[in-house]
Amino acid sequence: MESIFGFVSPKILSQILVGLSRTVILFIVSSGLSLILGVLRIPNVAHGSLYMIGAFMAYTVSHLFGGGNMGFWMALVLAPLGVAVVSFAAERSLFQFLYEREHLMLLLLTFALSLVFGDLVKMVWGGEYRSVPVPSVFQGYINLFGGLPFPVYSFFLLVIGPVIAILLWLLTNKTKIGKISRAAAVDREMVGAVGINVSWIFATVFIIGCFLAGLGGVLVAPTVSVTLGMDHTLIMEAFLIVIMGGLGNVWGALLGSLIFGLTQSLGILVWPQFGIVFPYLAVVVVLLFRPTGLLRSTW
Amino acid sequence: MKRCSFFALASVFLLSVLCVCSPSQAANTIKVGIVDTYTGPATTFTNDVLDGFKLAVQKINASGGILGKKIEFTTRDEKFKPDIGLAMAKELVLKEKVDILMGTINSATTLAISDFVRKEKIPFFVTFAKSDKIVAEKGHRYIFNMNENTEMAGRAAAIALAKKPYVKYWIAGDDYEYGHAIAEGVWNNLKKLKPSVQKVGETWWKVGEADFTPYITQILAAKPDFIIVATGGSGMVNFQKAARATGLSQKVPFYQHTATELSVLAPQGQNAPEGVFGTANYFFYYPDTAQNRAFVADFKKAYNRNPRIGALYGYMTAQFIAEGYKKAGKIDKEKFVTALEGMTLDSPVGKLEIRKCDHQLLLPMYFGVTKKDAKYEFLIASGIETIEGKDYVPSCEEVLKHRKQ
Repeated sequence: MESIFGFVSPKILSQILVGLSRTVILFIVSSGLSLILGVLRIPNVAHGSLYMIGAFMAYTVSHLFGGGNMGFWMALVLAPLGVAVVSFAAERSLFQFLYEREHLMLLLLTFALSLVFGDLVKMVWGGEYRSVPVPSVFQGYINLFGGLPFPVYSFFLLVIGPVIAILLWLLTNKTKIGKISRAAAVDREMVGAVGINVSWIFATVFIIGCFLAGLGGVLVAPTVSVTLGMDHTLIMEAFLIVIMGGLGNVWGALLGSLIFGLTQSLGILVWPQFGIVFPYLAVVVVLLFRPTGLLRSTW
Repeated sequence: MKRCSFFALASVFLLSVLCVCSPSQAANTIKVGIVDTYTGPATTFTNDVLDGFKLAVQKINASGGILGKKIEFTTRDEKFKPDIGLAMAKELVLKEKVDILMGTINSATTLAISDFVRKEKIPFFVTFAKSDKIVAEKGHRYIFNMNENTEMAGRAAAIALAKKPYVKYWIAGDDYEYGHAIAEGVWNNLKKLKPSVQKVGETWWKVGEADFTPYITQILAAKPDFIIVATGGSGMVNFQKAARATGLSQKVPFYQHTATELSVLAPQGQNAPEGVFGTANYFFYYPDTAQNRAFVADFKKAYNRNPRIGALYGYMTAQFIAEGYKKAGKIDKEKFVTALEGMTLDSPVGKLEIRKCDHQLLLPMYFGVTKKDAKYEFLIASGIETIEGKDYVPSCEEVLKHRKQ
């Protein structure tokens, strides 16, 4: 195959696109994690479970509306809302009493919650593999650069990713609640002293973060089999991304997701057997040179 | 405080040793202890085994049990962790005093339990674990393998693939023991049957990999004739979905062990890829014999779903346990084991034999290709070629030479 731009081979370009579509999912989930970590100071290990619940809810909603196109769009709207409801219940019943506790305790709490959610999913949906079909508008693939297939659904992800990123930026920078959350992340006592109900701010941020986890779950569902255990694989990657990018920094989450997604897909070209090592090597390198993460953390 | 707890521990240990040494009480039941994974993605398979077992046990107990004793069973969740599985097996034998152990889908746990039951002399029926070490290197008198292993599956696939015209093969799969074992099983046997085949490359991805697109593009660029895909568990569906999304299934044919099974095809409905080659030990729709139809009807009535391979393993294990004791004539472990050797029973897939030399159950293997069918909401296997158990199982000499005597 001839090179594009004279020097980049089409294989590398198509791998970059593949990596970027993985980045989108990682970014959506880890930005939620980062928000919760930055503003509420909660290391939410249950984030992966909410992602899994989002995927299972997408299956249920999609089935309710007959599978196919309608099913997918309804799932995209309803499933993250469902996850938001679950997280609201968790927040009001558990977390709102624990914001002043130390991080290790919160870590253990969210870890326990992730185990509980995992079993709840097993009770509600059973152990079977589920599958959410790709909506017919996104089925099939495009032949990139002469012969390398790229699924249309991945293109959809590549479009949705920046949209979500822009919406998040607008939310955190241009809305009142966004500005208050950023202030609360820096100094929650001061925000409380000014007369703002910090508890409700925290609840809102928590729900938005969990909504993002659910959204990630819905978006990934058509590409994988929806099973128990999805939570464990993702939470490890999400935490590493958040640590790499800077705790609490949503743009850090974007940068971390980019690094993770791209090093994995390009690593496969270099050394297929050990393609999975590259993102973790990148984490090691980043932390060696910038232990607090690439971008400024809010802690 | 420390001395106190040491004393307490020592007395507990002493008591448990005494309990083990005392003669086993003549219970009114035959107790079966099932250690398996009921957490995580494997649950979909292990529930089948348990349900198939329960169905058979209900029937056996309803018609009077075994030699007047009813079968009782209890399960333990090992969460796919060998250390937990082994601890559970020990608890079942030493505390619950089970007569028979059954399980597990995790080969590592199975091998650990195998060492334990060899010393304790407890019959152990393996369901779902596919390591060939179970009957070969680590085989012994008390272990019975009720399913195929990776070497057998590889041979069966090789027998079918050797008849096909493909020459340039690419091997890809999950980078863990099962993936490598399946791939090696297929490739080594294929090379023996058809020396002209060439391996043009290999790709291994982490277990649980969800995004295969980068690997698929790499494989397509090398232009092989055929791909041997060694995935397991949820990787099966993930890979098939990716194959459809990238059009791989229309470009290069590939094979996966169990690609044609209901557990892989049913979740995908009409969206599963066509033209995928696979080996499987059970379909509810084939062979369309009276025995199979009856089994399917019973299972559906009890559990409101079609039976899958796990159900067959569980169902036949219970049948063999019952017949083993009946033939032995009394509740005697050694007579039971001896009675099972070489025993042949009728099953939904025909006559099944537990081979005497290595206690391997000889199931028929069906090689087919996925295809849409108007009668079902999911794809089914078509063009099915049946390979009899005795044709694809390694010979007794080959298996036994692995065992240290």
